[in-house]
Amino acid sequence: MNESRVAAIRGKGVINQAGELSQLKVAEMIRRGLKILTGSPNADDGFGQIFARNDRVGIKISTIGGRKISSRPEVSLTLADLLVKSGLHERNIIIWDRTNRELKEAGYRLSSSSNGLKVFGTDMDGAGYETELVSHLNIGSLFSTIQTNFVTASISLAILKDHGLAGVTAGMKNYFGSIHNPNKYHDSHCNPFVAELFDTALIKRKHKLSILDGLVVQYHRGPSYHAQWAEACGVLVFSRDPVAADSVGWQMIEKLRAKKGLPSLQEDKREPAYLMTAEKMGLGRAGADQIQIIEDEV
Amino acid sequence: MRYNRIIRTVWTMERRQFFKTLAGSSLLLGANAGTFLCDLFAFQDTANLSRVEARYYKKLPDREIECQLCPRNCKLGDKERGYCGVRENIGGTYYTLVYGKACTANVDPIEKKPFFHFLPGSKAFSIATAGCNLNCKFCQNWQISQVRAEQVRPLDLPPQDVVVNALSYKCPSISYTYTEPIVYFEYMYDTAIQARTKGIKNCVVTAGHIHREPLLDLIKVVDAIKIDLKSFSQDFYTNYVRGELQPVLEAIKTVHQSKVWLELVYLVIPTLNDDVEGIREMSQWIRKEIGPDVPLHFSRFQPMYLVQNLPPTPVSTLEKAHDIALGEGLHYVYIGNVPGHRAESTFCPRCQNVIIERVGFELNRIDLDGGKCKFCHNPIPGIWA
Repeated sequence: MNESRVAAIRGKGVINQAGELSQLKVAEMIRRGLKILTGSPNADDGFGQIFARNDRVGIKISTIGGRKISSRPEVSLTLADLLVKSGLHERNIIIWDRTNRELKEAGYRLSSSSNGLKVFGTDMDGAGYETELVSHLNIGSLFSTIQTNFVTASISLAILKDHGLAGVTAGMKNYFGSIHNPNKYHDSHCNPFVAELFDTALIKRKHKLSILDGLVVQYHRGPSYHAQWAEACGVLVFSRDPVAADSVGWQMIEKLRAKKGLPSLQEDKREPAYLMTAEKMGLGRAGADQIQIIEDEV
Repeated sequence: MRYNRIIRTVWTMERRQFFKTLAGSSLLLGANAGTFLCDLFAFQDTANLSRVEARYYKKLPDREIECQLCPRNCKLGDKERGYCGVRENIGGTYYTLVYGKACTANVDPIEKKPFFHFLPGSKAFSIATAGCNLNCKFCQNWQISQVRAEQVRPLDLPPQDVVVNALSYKCPSISYTYTEPIVYFEYMYDTAIQARTKGIKNCVVTAGHIHREPLLDLIKVVDAIKIDLKSFSQDFYTNYVRGELQPVLEAIKTVHQSKVWLELVYLVIPTLNDDVEGIREMSQWIRKEIGPDVPLHFSRFQPMYLVQNLPPTPVSTLEKAHDIALGEGLHYVYIGNVPGHRAESTFCPRCQNVIIERVGFELNRIDLDGGKCKFCHNPIPGIWA
């Protein structure tokens, strides 16, 4: 069996001294990531391997952390732009999360334009949640109609963070924001809930790409923002294997914690057990020996 | 008895058409791809949430808090929401998002709660907010209990308005019910205090998953508490309730030791919590720890929420549970959700006459005189007026 490929792209100077992001550099990082991930000669072909021209692509972002530690507009909007340039219709792309309030607090401006890019939350008037429960293993939830009705192909663009309960929050847990009751799934380190939610058909069949925003990584005391434990790493992580992407993100956090003299998540008794569960469920690969990490710098 | 539904529960869902419209658009891609940010605009927030500081929590370093309202003890970072979905840490201060935000309000017969020994035949002005600190797979009100605060469209109904409504509908009591009142503790508590000043009683319908300190405060301001004992097995609480049994048993004992009237409900679910030994063990515990006079209601389950693969409880199962509890020495054992069943009525444990005859939520007759059986003058425990 082939290894799962993960591309970790470092952007030299992607964050300036004032903490601002270079969108040009972000675009370069995304293009490089897609090329490496897909083995394509260019990013457009790379996107073409992943998405059909008529796909309606949902870019599921994470905005609970406010402006300081959410999926950044500079990244998601650049990604949307590149998707359009690769041949997808702008009107078929949505950047979304749970609520308009959180999106705005994270720096987004909203749009429900019928012929343009859409940016809004599930609580947008006219969106909302399904009325039929999805019951799967330990999951019983209503899904956002954005995920059920609009999206045919999904990108999880998550911020990489330490998480007091789950250990790590990244691409898989990001889908907690697609259901009405994520607060019910934080017991026992969010395990097996993260994996079981991902295993629902509405996520598993639509998920095409994980991108972890590791430009600034909250490696301790997450998921809230704490400047003293946030490191500007300038990295974006790409994988088509959601478990492998998160596993690599976990190791990035562990390296940062070790560098700062903090105990490992295992020592802290909160290693992300949901990744092992996800691997057992066949959702992807968590073991380092089964993941091919290709690092590059632009 | 009829009751008026005065405020509809509003639930903000069912929006498929919106996306059909969006996805079906035939307009072409704009020329300015790559300038998304400056083309976008902002909407107004619409969520109607309160921001009243919560009680029973501890501030921790780094803007974290620990909720001390219920046994979950949610430890939350900034911007995080508790398990209940209606209490949030904002910048290191914990807030209730549902104070004065009733998602439903109705005038109900008190028998619907059910309270059978508390103001029988009366109406209760009944309110709820969104949220619950448990996640029972068989929840009968999951559309409002298992949602977050912004997923309902609440009515602004501050404590004083609840009391005004109770008075105008001639309700001698206010019932905190439908979802889990513990999660809207502050709203319930303040309303109860105001209600008492107007001579209105307060009754609480809860699962009893609460810490002792807030419960001790609550029982100072309310008159009756009905606790849902979901099972007598921790395994059941773990797998089907997502909570702890022991704190519920402690809450039952605490209420019993107070002056607040207590009734218990046990929803009997086929194959899950209907084993004879479990029901016997529970009945023995109630007899020993609480005494024989606490009313115990065995309610009929209907397939709901995440347990739709099971049939409604056979009446014979309910009757078996009823007989076990009576056999273990409990005096007031009822069968609920089976309208017309003989065990809906109250029997005098001494002379065995029917002293309160019920059919569903209707009262046919009450043969009590000053809280005593009209036939043999045996005192019947309860709050009768």
